[in-house]
Amino acid sequence: MTMVRDVGERARRLAINRLGLWLFFLSESFLFSALLVTRFYLQGVSRPTELNQPLGFAISFVLILSSLTAYRAETAIAHGAETMFRRNILYTILLGILFLAGVGLEWSEGFRLFPPSHGFGTIFFTLTGFHAFHVFTGILALAVLLMPRQKGRFTPDNHWGVEAIVKYWHFVDVVWVFIFPALYLVS
Amino acid sequence: MKSRGFKRRLSVGFAVFGALIGIKVVEYFFGTRIHSGAWPYLVVLAFAGAWLILSYFMHIGQLGESGSKDHDNG
Repeated sequence: MTMVRDVGERARRLAINRLGLWLFFLSESFLFSALLVTRFYLQGVSRPTELNQPLGFAISFVLILSSLTAYRAETAIAHGAETMFRRNILYTILLGILFLAGVGLEWSEGFRLFPPSHGFGTIFFTLTGFHAFHVFTGILALAVLLMPRQKGRFTPDNHWGVEAIVKYWHFVDVVWVFIFPALYLVS
Repeated sequence: MKSRGFKRRLSVGFAVFGALIGIKVVEYFFGTRIHSGAWPYLVVLAFAGAWLILSYFMHIGQLGESGSKDHDNG
């Protein structure tokens, strides 16, 4: 009887945790929506011709690939495959770092071609800067999962910490799905 | 030994990844080859990509559940 109550309580707690996380995503999406609206309000659909579209496409590929590895990590821990879980978390971190390096390269070109003092530069650096900061915090959170003291902590029945961080990583990917065409492709 | 459910979920991940890359390639084609009037297509493609991630990677459908299915939602 007590065991049934415990299972029910855990399920209720998990549902509340998930709702809280999704409300956090909703609040974050307001922020990014406002920035995207600003892009079109200030600049219309125009963009500088010097914008490095192949680089934008390449870092999009890297971020989507990192979502796949994050998904594989969550799936692995949900089925008790800890080694696969840790390996995929590591891949996700490395891909996240590669994405940030790509953004850094784009910034170094951007400062020369459309500096932040220009209309498009303001929007470009604000949007990609906010997004890159989210990627950076996601990398930190993923790194916590790899710390030695976390080893063996997550089980197929109890891995909310992994689920929350992986979902956050996917959310960062969703945001980029809108940022990439809005900055690099619309014309 | 990996269970069938585990393998199925991994293959779903690959399928969604392939679809997302396909969407990005089409987006890139519209953005680089079509120089005006491409934005409605880009909007549709962006929402399609976001829907794939929200549905299959983020399991947004879990929100409608009580949590009793716990973590094994495919």
